[in-house]
Amino acid sequence: MAQKNEERLRRTMMFVPGNNPAMVKDAGIYGADSIMFDLEDAVSMAEKDAARDLVYEAIQSQDYGNAELVVRVNGQDTPYYNNDVKAMVKAGIDVVRLPKVEDAQMIQTLEKDVLAAEKQFGREEGSTHVMAAIESAKGVLNVAEIAAASDRMIGVALSAEDYTTDMKTHRYPDGAELEFARNMVLHAARAAGIAAFDTVFTNMDDTEGFYRETRYIHQLGFDGKSLVNPRQISMVNSVYEPTQKEIKNAQNVITAIEEARIKGSGVISMNGQMVDRPVVLRAQRVMRLAKASNLVDEEGNYIEK
Amino acid sequence: MDSEVRELRLRNPSDYKKWRTFLESLNIFNFEESEVSGIDLTLGIFSGEDLVATGSLANNTLKYIGVCNKNVVTGSRFNVIVSALVNREFQRGIFHMFVFTKKKYSASFQHVGFSELASTEDAAVLENGKPGIEDYLGEIAESSVSPSEKIAGIVMNANPFTNGHRALVEKAASENDFVYVFVVQTEASLFRFDERLRLVQEGTQDLTNVKVVSGGNYMVSYLTFPAYFLPSSEDTIRYQTTLDARIFRNKIAPRLGINKRYVGTEPFSRTTGVYNQVLAEELPPNVELSVVDRVQAEDKPVTATAVRQAIKADKLSAIKALVPTSTYDFINNNKNELIARIQKGMNINGN
Amino acid sequence: MEIKETAIAGTLESSDIQIMLAKGANGIEIDLESDVKKQFGQQIESVITTTLNQLGIESASVKAVDKGALDCVIKARTIAAAQRAGQTTDEPAWEVL
Repeated sequence: MAQKNEERLRRTMMFVPGNNPAMVKDAGIYGADSIMFDLEDAVSMAEKDAARDLVYEAIQSQDYGNAELVVRVNGQDTPYYNNDVKAMVKAGIDVVRLPKVEDAQMIQTLEKDVLAAEKQFGREEGSTHVMAAIESAKGVLNVAEIAAASDRMIGVALSAEDYTTDMKTHRYPDGAELEFARNMVLHAARAAGIAAFDTVFTNMDDTEGFYRETRYIHQLGFDGKSLVNPRQISMVNSVYEPTQKEIKNAQNVITAIEEARIKGSGVISMNGQMVDRPVVLRAQRVMRLAKASNLVDEEGNYIEK
Repeated sequence: MDSEVRELRLRNPSDYKKWRTFLESLNIFNFEESEVSGIDLTLGIFSGEDLVATGSLANNTLKYIGVCNKNVVTGSRFNVIVSALVNREFQRGIFHMFVFTKKKYSASFQHVGFSELASTEDAAVLENGKPGIEDYLGEIAESSVSPSEKIAGIVMNANPFTNGHRALVEKAASENDFVYVFVVQTEASLFRFDERLRLVQEGTQDLTNVKVVSGGNYMVSYLTFPAYFLPSSEDTIRYQTTLDARIFRNKIAPRLGINKRYVGTEPFSRTTGVYNQVLAEELPPNVELSVVDRVQAEDKPVTATAVRQAIKADKLSAIKALVPTSTYDFINNNKNELIARIQKGMNINGN
Repeated sequence: MEIKETAIAGTLESSDIQIMLAKGANGIEIDLESDVKKQFGQQIESVITTTLNQLGIESASVKAVDKGALDCVIKARTIAAAQRAGQTTDEPAWEVL
């Protein structure tokens, strides 16, 4: 089931074409943090029904481990949207990703439709989360209200192909054309307390470019990146791996929390300094990353490589 | 990584060049107008800029399928392109389709759901979808006929039904317990299929052991069989007629219990001459072939071609001696319509 | 559900199954082509038959070309083909999904 933001890593969101059984079946074996089944751009109009049926049956029967399951439904201006949302809520998807979001109203409509579907199919109300893909200038300018539009929101993602087209440009290796959008999306996500996902990098042959872009969005503060190829998962994870020094620091903070708990003290202190909430959150995040990267064992002890 | 399946626009010169060059690299060299003009959809898969697989549709026929297996699992691209073509046929409401291909690719098509109807050393014809040949034969089979009886078959275009056709059917009916008359369904004649079928039925109504049926998709005008994949055009007619004969011998005759086929001599058509010769080679011993001389009227053989020429010349009096009353009445009642069809360009030569 | 026209769903790609559905008169008749027919033929046919029955289809002529599909794929393709054949694609069969 879906977990709210601070408890979950979202380094990698892997796109899976919704009408491809081989890829739908194997989506769980690569260790992506999130799996995004695509009913939209990856599926031709004649196959929308078949893709929806396929993803539905796969979610019902396949084991995708701990991965967060996301479905990109077709846009609200298409005849497929309603059935997509209903079917995916019925299937028990963790997150519905709405494409081409331009204002808060669209998320509120989605929220209403998701709630209706939860009621219709006897799903726990509020159990289905949503996220927004930002793909236009208007979406970027409204991203703050979009990110805060619903309690169900877990994230916003930048989708650069449509966005750069809307901006009358295209993608360049240095990413200068995305600078404003990336910062807007990221700030909106942080202000709303949800995750920020960077766009896909499609040139599979340019490994160096992929690392450069991933290091850059990691530096900015993105939670992770959307991916089109499973090979990219380990590459992103390696960029997000914490250093030994970061882990040591985090371990100290965790120890201090533990000590405060044993003492029954409400105040956590380290080296005579009070440890405030952001520091605690960062330490917890570093430890989750360290565990996910197999750098610490279950008890949190550093594993020497 | 391969691209998604994309549409190629053969009218666009750069797409056409890419497509043709690719097929030529796979030893397909026949791009004659008669083969290419019927194509109404072409699909392709690309690897980078290179075309690596293609296939086309011409109505209910898959054509010009070519696949390069370099650097991929053999068969994977073939499966992708064929399933895309089959799905496209269904999307446009064509649920039953054919492929004509080199014999060596027959197994590949059978592996993806096609059934072979017939093959020669070089070529094969397969079908896919529904209703298939078993459905067709189940529908036309006369249940009251027992397989131990003498059962005959006649295939005719009957454009229109003449006294020559009538004599052939009469002879077969008198020499056998039961006769199937198959009327070619292909629409390429002056008289439409429904008209031809009706005139054969009316002209044989008095013969109680005769059943007139549609030739369905299996007694097509064999001249429409694609031949682009054959190395030379010399063998085309022979290949086409051989496939036609083998479909009859291997699929149709056994299911309906037909043990004899009747054909009329065709004094004026070389193609029909070749056809009868191929039938004589292919049908026996499973199916006996009886070649019957044309009946004569006023010292000339009765042919449908002569009837059509008389219609064109508006000389209905010349027709009376050549056709049964039912056919004559029909022509008489629809003379203007028939002449109009001829004036619109309907070819009345051939058979 | 009533079969109104012949329909197809699925592809011939690895892990998929192509299901072709037409009107039938004698129950569910399945013509299956599969590399694993010997081991799994019965299982595949049973998934197709069960799914069709759940959709209220008691008679159909089915042609299936299997390329190693899992049960969930067989079920999904059967549903898609049946809804296309019944011309009910716009309203998913919620009770069967």
